[in-house]
This record gives sequence, C-alpha cells and structure tokens, in this order.
Amino acid sequence: MHMRNKIIRHLSQVLALMLFAGVLAACNNGSGRSAQGSEEGASSTDKGEKVTLQFYMLGDAPKDLPVIESEVNKLAEADLNVNVKFNYTSWTDWDQKYKLLLSSGQPMDLIFTADWTFYQSYAKKGAFLPLDELLPKAAPTLQSHVPEDMWNAVKINGKIYTVPSTWIEYVTEGIAYREDLREKYNLPKPESLETLEAYLEGIKANEPSMIPIADSNSNHTHGIRQLTSKLVNTAGQLPYGLDIMYDSPSTITSYWGSSQHLEDLKTYKRWMDKGFFPKNVLNVKDTSNSLLQNGKAAVVLSGENPNKFNADVIKVQSTHPDWKLGYFAYPNAKGFAQPVHPIHNGFAIPRSSKNPEKALAFYEKLVTDKRYNWLTEYGVEGKNFEVQDGYYKMVGDAQTNGFPREGMNGWAWRNPDFMLYDKTFDDVLAMFEELDKIKKPDIFTGFAEDWTPFQAEKAALEQVEKQYLYPLNVGLVADVEAGLNTFMEKAKQAGLEKIQAEYTKQWQEYLKSAGIQ
Amino acid sequence: MHTTRARDSEFTLLFQIIAYAVILVLSIMCLLPFLLILSGSFSSNESIVRDGYHLFPTDFSLEGYQMVFKFPTQVLKAYGVTVFTTVVGTALGLFLITMAGFVLQRKDFKYRNTFSFFIYFTTLFGGGLVPWYIMLANYFNLTDTYTVLIFPGLMTPFLIILMKNFIRSAVPDELVESAKMDGANDFRIYFSIVLKLAMPGIATVGLFLALGYWNDWFTSSLFINNPDMYQLQFYLYNTMNTITFIDQMAIGTGITLSQDVPTESTKMAMAIVVTGPILFLYPFVQRYFVKGLTIGAVKG
Repeated sequence: MHMRNKIIRHLSQVLALMLFAGVLAACNNGSGRSAQGSEEGASSTDKGEKVTLQFYMLGDAPKDLPVIESEVNKLAEADLNVNVKFNYTSWTDWDQKYKLLLSSGQPMDLIFTADWTFYQSYAKKGAFLPLDELLPKAAPTLQSHVPEDMWNAVKINGKIYTVPSTWIEYVTEGIAYREDLREKYNLPKPESLETLEAYLEGIKANEPSMIPIADSNSNHTHGIRQLTSKLVNTAGQLPYGLDIMYDSPSTITSYWGSSQHLEDLKTYKRWMDKGFFPKNVLNVKDTSNSLLQNGKAAVVLSGENPNKFNADVIKVQSTHPDWKLGYFAYPNAKGFAQPVHPIHNGFAIPRSSKNPEKALAFYEKLVTDKRYNWLTEYGVEGKNFEVQDGYYKMVGDAQTNGFPREGMNGWAWRNPDFMLYDKTFDDVLAMFEELDKIKKPDIFTGFAEDWTPFQAEKAALEQVEKQYLYPLNVGLVADVEAGLNTFMEKAKQAGLEKIQAEYTKQWQEYLKSAGIQ
Repeated sequence: MHTTRARDSEFTLLFQIIAYAVILVLSIMCLLPFLLILSGSFSSNESIVRDGYHLFPTDFSLEGYQMVFKFPTQVLKAYGVTVFTTVVGTALGLFLITMAGFVLQRKDFKYRNTFSFFIYFTTLFGGGLVPWYIMLANYFNLTDTYTVLIFPGLMTPFLIILMKNFIRSAVPDELVESAKMDGANDFRIYFSIVLKLAMPGIATVGLFLALGYWNDWFTSSLFINNPDMYQLQFYLYNTMNTITFIDQMAIGTGITLSQDVPTESTKMAMAIVVTGPILFLYPFVQRYFVKGLTIGAVKG
C-alpha cells in the first residue's frame, strides 16, 4: 500500500511535469526562434555558414515589415549568406528594454544608437564591440563611405563603437505660429520674448476659443531658453538646471535659482494669468503639433524642428488650405546653428553578437547598396512608393500604405547619395541651407555624462522637478518667489549641489580632452 | 436591561450609518474615474481638449468608437491574444495552484514545510527585474512566444497560500481519511472531493488569475517584439505612449514617425472597449468571492 502510494506520487509528479512541458512546447512551436540557438560560430567573411542576424530597432514596426524582411533576406542570402530578423522595441519603456537587451547578454548583432539612447555611456561601459579592427576587414566600403572626421567624432576613449549616419541635418528648434492670424489681426512677428508675448495677447483677445500656447507639460521652457540665451546645447535646456554658454563653455553657472530663472518663471505665471495655457496643462496628452494642426492653438514653442514644422505645413495645407503657418528658427535669435553630431544616429554591434563580421558586412550593404537601402527606407518600388521627377511619392495614403517613407525608423542608415525626398521636403532643405550659413560645430553632444557617481541623487531630483518645478513652469503657483525657494530647497535636499559639482567636473575634463577653450 | 438593549440598537444604527456612509464615499471614489472615462469616450474630441473632462458629455459624439473600429484588425488581434492567455492561463494556473494547495496542506506530506518555505521565501527575496528577464529570455528562450505571456503568471505564492488555507478549512482531514478507507486514492480525493468543496476558493483564485492575465501589459512590453502578439492592454498602452513619445522625446532627436495619433476621445473609447468584458465576469464570480476570501478567519 505504502509502496503503491509512493509510485503514484512519483507518477503524478512526472505527469504534472509532462503536462507542463507539453504546453510549453505547443506554445513554442511556430514562433521561429528555436532555430537560433544552433547557428553559432562561423565568422569568416567569405560567406561561410548561414547565420541569422538579430537586428534591433527602436519604435514600432511598420505593417509591411514581413514583406520587406523577406525581400531583404533574399538579397542578403545571395550576397552574404545571412538572414536578418528585424526586431522592434515599441516606444513603451523603450529605454528600460534597451537597457535589458544590452545587460542581459541576449544574442544581438546590430542595435540602434544615438546620443539620446546614451550611446556614450554604454560605449564607456563596454556594451558595444570596438569596430576599429573589424571595419577594414569586414566593411571597407562602409569605412571609406563615412568621412574621417565623423569616425573621429564618435570615438569614445579612442575607439569607434558606432557607425554614424552621414546625412547632415539640423534638429534645431523654432517657433511655429499661425501666420494667417498674425496678418489678420496685424500682430508682430513672434521673434523675441516681447513680440511673442504681444502676439499671444493678440491671439487671446481676438480668438477667445483658442488656447494660444500648444505646449503640454512644461516643454515651452526649452523654447524660451533658446529664444533668450546662447546655450551650448541645441536642444534647449541643460540637465540639472545648469547654464553653459557657447561662447564661454568653461564657465558654468546654475540657472535654477538665478534671478534669470525667477524672471522667466514670473513670465510664465503672467502667461497663465492671461490665459495662454490651458488650465489642465500638466495633464494635456495631445501633441503640440496636433493642437496646432487642429486650430486649437496658435503657437508651438518647443520640439518644432524644420522637419516637424514641414510636416505641420503639409497637414494644414490638406485640411485647412486657407491657413498659413510661420516659422522663426531659434538659431536666428542665437546667432548660430549646430548641425546634429555624428553620434546622433548610428548602429553598434553589441558585445553579445556571435557574428560581428557578418553583422558589419550586412550593415555595409544596408548603407552603401542602393537595393538594400531603398528597400529598407522606402519599401518595395511600385508597391509602397514611386519615383517621380526624382522625388519620392507614396503609393496610396498613410492608411493603406503598409510602409511609409522611412517606415522602419531607418534614420541611421540614410545615405545622402541615394536619398529620395518628398517634394514637400524642398522647404526643409532650403531651411537647412539657411542654417548652414550660420553653422558652428556642436561641442556639446560629444560629451558623455557618467551619472553613476550621483545616480540616487539624480532619481530624487527628477521627482522634485516634477513635483515643484513643473507647476512653476506653467504658472500654477501663486507666489512664484516662494515657490522657487521651495523648489531650490527640495532640490538641494535631493543632492542638486553634488550633481552639479560632479557634472561640472566631468564637463571640464571633456573640454580639456577635446581641446575646446 | 432595557436600557442596554436600547443603547445596543442605537449603536447598531450608528454603526450602520457610518458603515453605509464610508462605503458610499468609497464606491463613488471608485466609480467617478470610470464615469469620466465613459463620458470622455462619448464626447467629441474638441470639447475634451478645450474644456477638459466632464462627468456627462457636453458634446455627445461617437467619433471615438468609430476610430477604434475603423481599423479593427489590430485591436481584434490583441483581443484574441488576451482572451487566449486569460483562458489558458487561468485554467492552467488553477490546476497548478489547487494541486499545490492540496499537497501542501496534507499532513502526511513529509516535505511540506520545506516546499512551503521555498514558496514563501520568494515573497521576501526576489531576484529583481534583470535576472528575471535573463532567465526567461536567454535560458528559456521565450521571447516572442505565447508561453511567456502565460508562464510567469501561473503561480503566485500569495494565491498558493490562499488556496492552501482554503482547502485546509473546507476539506476536513477526517473526510480525506474516510475517503481513503473507502479505497479512494489521492487523485480521486483531489478530483472528487477537494475540487468540489473548494469551489468558492477556486472562483476567487480564478478571478485573481483572470484579472492578472487580462490586465497584464508588462510581459508583452518586455518579451514580445511581434505586434500581432501584443496583449490588449499593451496595445492600448503602447498607442498612448507613442503619443507621449512624439511629444517628449522627438524634441531635438529629429526623428520622424509616420504613425496616426489617436485623439483623446479615441483613447477613452479604447479604454472602455478593453475593460468591458472583464466587468461582466465579476457578477458571475462575485457570490463566491466573499466566502472565498474570508475563509480561514472563522475556525469551525
């Protein structure tokens, strides 16, 4: 009896396990990932064993990705005997996923990098393979395609960790505004803080149903800082409330708590009182651009780079042909423009890659072979796009077309020699030409901040900012001066001074090593 | 004697007034946000943007729902995934949890304390996110599988403890003993006695499991790259995040995104579509619910 019970107990254990394993197996089948494990080794450049490269991109995949993937794989299999699997992170918690992908040692062969995905700090930590020796062996064409000074600009501690995009663009921002309303009510062009305020007042007085400023949260502060200062950072604010001016980069002061800061906050309070912001501004989730496009707002103050402004113009032309949009580029107020740094768009080979040479060879094809490049940037010719008078033309519309222009988010492998532009993009290129005239090198983006010494303080400070600074930025605090004092007090408790001191130290070391005065 | 009784009823009345008041306030607090979403989903987008949310739609419109169902394939796919994981996960999870609970409460199971310890230990000390991710992604190779959506949520220590205690109080030892004497083996006892008597507990744990699977978005977020396999909640969450992303991150990155951005009313309509079905599950299990949760409180 006892014996039998024991056997049954064993049996039941086995049964439960089998059941479980069965379910696992059933679910695993058909996912197409099981083949991956067996494809190790093989790292000779001349074809060799067939491997599947894992390619990681940010954002959401376009609808037609499977079609493009199989087309690319046909080419890649013939040329290099590789297959590629394109993976997307989606925009939800992409930064956390990015971190997990790199820290888990999951096999990956190519991954997107940029300054805003913290390329510099990952490279410093050794998450990517150095490419200096691989490049001449695996991708000589790619090596000569990218100019020498770009290779130098992306070096971290003397080594190359990413393949930069060679297409030069400006992501400098500006003020987008309703030009037709300005003409109608005879308002000044919003090109300084004073004229901007006058313009907003005019809108509020004449169009009571509009909310003059479209920015949600407190993004307008980025814009105002660019309008009124010559900060070293193109994209508005510097972290941790610091002030570094382009002309004197080694002098660092704190913007937070300064009289200028108080002045600006008073301006925002005045704007709120005048009704330039919606009352629930901190909770607005609509994009500034959609508010402008729908005619709910008259001005966008931040995030409006030439590219995005162009998109607004196109949208407005189709929905409200009687409207007109105006644009004032912040570089015009600053007196100089900085093109994006080569770090801004690139691809790296993670340390976990099992086929670094093949990965680099494939990436070379993606950039320098027109067939690959067009497929992944514009889709299948005739099905997704057509070339008309040298311009890109989408087949159908955004709803029916499964692969819009740059639908794979392929910003990093844009090749100026092959690029097709939409006809409407001519205006952006014209803007770029204007900005070229006042071009100065970007001295900020090459800097790699290392926040490990103040990680805890950084997190605490972010909380304090959200709680005490954001309401000030949109004028929701009655007593601005007291509010600023509270914020500064809380920020100091969170460790602001330590952060600022450490950041300053790192910045000055960078200036010295880069030879910037 | 007379006076104490009067005071007793006075206290009872007072207690009831306070109790009802508290419950009323709490219920309203729970209902209001939902009402706001409901009214938002029936408002025109313009009125939301201009005046914010109202308890009753100021400008009635169905455009939100029209948008959701204009291109229903994605939503329907996500629905399918969520229904599948919820059904399979709940059924499988219930089986495993009742088994575990049954075994752990049996006094003649020699290693029950050891096993219990292993289970409870994980509630106190977890490995954290990174090891968990590495385990599932690198060792089990579960990225982009339906397994990963089901497997991690199958058993939670809390539910095992709940089930164990429930079975202990619902199934007296004497009953198991007498069944044994009548010649029933452990499986027979499990299927014919324990499962039948533990129905309220099963309903409770089942509801917890079902809610867990229905509301899960995190696993999709970490392990699923294929948009056709997104769970409903993640699909919704991701759509909203893309909007925030365009607004926040696109500053200075210069990246161009070619997606359609749903409007406020569409988002609210989506939220309603998502929560709808699970709301209907509640009334069916609710009658077991009270009994299932409070069990073990009264020794009888």
